[in-house]
Amino acid sequence: MLDFGAVSLEWGTMLFQALVFLILLVLVRKFALGPALAVMEKRRQHIETEISSAERSRKDSETLLAEQRRLLDEARLEAKALIDRAHKQASDEETRIKKEAEEAAARLKAEATADIAREIAKAKAELQEQVAGLSVLLASKIIEKELDEAAQKSTVDQFLKQVGDRL
Amino acid sequence: MHLSPRFELSGLVFDIPTMIMTVVTSLVVLLLLVGLTRKLTVGAPSGGQNFLEWVVDFVSGIAQNFMDTKTASRFITLGFTLLLYIFIGNQLGLLFNVNTSHHGQVSQSFLDSLALSGTPEATEHKKEEILKELADDEGHGAVVVWWKSPTATPSVTFALALMVLLYSQYLEIVKHGLGTYLKHFLNPIHLLEEIIIKPLTLPLRLFGNIFAGEVLISFLLSTGIFVGSLPLVVWLGYSFFVGSVQAYIFTTLTMVYISQKVNDHH
Repeated sequence: MLDFGAVSLEWGTMLFQALVFLILLVLVRKFALGPALAVMEKRRQHIETEISSAERSRKDSETLLAEQRRLLDEARLEAKALIDRAHKQASDEETRIKKEAEEAAARLKAEATADIAREIAKAKAELQEQVAGLSVLLASKIIEKELDEAAQKSTVDQFLKQVGDRL
Repeated sequence: MHLSPRFELSGLVFDIPTMIMTVVTSLVVLLLLVGLTRKLTVGAPSGGQNFLEWVVDFVSGIAQNFMDTKTASRFITLGFTLLLYIFIGNQLGLLFNVNTSHHGQVSQSFLDSLALSGTPEATEHKKEEILKELADDEGHGAVVVWWKSPTATPSVTFALALMVLLYSQYLEIVKHGLGTYLKHFLNPIHLLEEIIIKPLTLPLRLFGNIFAGEVLISFLLSTGIFVGSLPLVVWLGYSFFVGSVQAYIFTTLTMVYISQKVNDHH
């Protein structure tokens, strides 16, 4: 040992101190610090996984949101197209119906005109026939009554009057 | 004169109070830690575990100041145990004193154990002084100190420091190989630093601070209750501060010395 009176350095005490400290190191490691460090490390890992999983779910939700947005846009476009098509269809229908109606009206008009013309022609033909019949009748009557001018005249007038009435 | 009983075993001298305090300090550290780690949880820690993790983070912080995180994690246990051992050791001496005062006759073996010194002449000289103090009925007698800070003993601080320094040398050999390690000693500055400066400054700084604190405490105690009380309270507070700081410094320097050996830019 080194002795300086009040202060001394003893090799035995040093050796003892070193041994006790080494034992303390081992015991501290085994019973306190080892478990504590393990727990701290486990917590660190836990936090790390929690953070990364949160990050992952955030990314997932972001992609999902984008997907939803895209789908919504698509649906909106589709709906717009659908409405446009319906509009177009309706206007097409409108023109078609109008056209049809016009055609039908034109046809009806033409038919009516033709009917009228036919009726007129028919009436004319009938009139002609009747005029012819009456003429024949008149002629025969004139022949019956001979040359009685006054009588003839009255007969013709009467006849013409008859014709006028008939017409 | 403050005395402490010693014994000699195969040429080595052992100081009994110091060994008692070494064991007491170790037990306090161990029991404290076991108490703090009884209910460990991965979830949110509370109470003891909180404090324990704060200390662990504190030590990790010291180590990571000088090393990368992975390297630092290898020395957490050493730094942690050193910090707590020295801190508690420093404060134990402030708690109370256990002194025995002897007058008149003591047994021959006890006298021998108290007188044991470096050389036979010194032992004889010391024995005479002890006998003188024993015989003096007016004085305080032969005072044996049983309770003190283990760190107020150079044997303890030198043992801790040399252990740490040898460990750092060992780390350097492992890291760089024996050849490179020996080549460093060709540099006289390096030689001086490793052989003289570090092994002296590291333990003497701790020992000097704590020993001085205890010397002044026992002086203030001896001045009596009226003169010494107020300065004693102040000095105990300051000693607590010094003891904390010295524990921190010792741990920090340990990490610095280790980092010098294990870091790549050596």
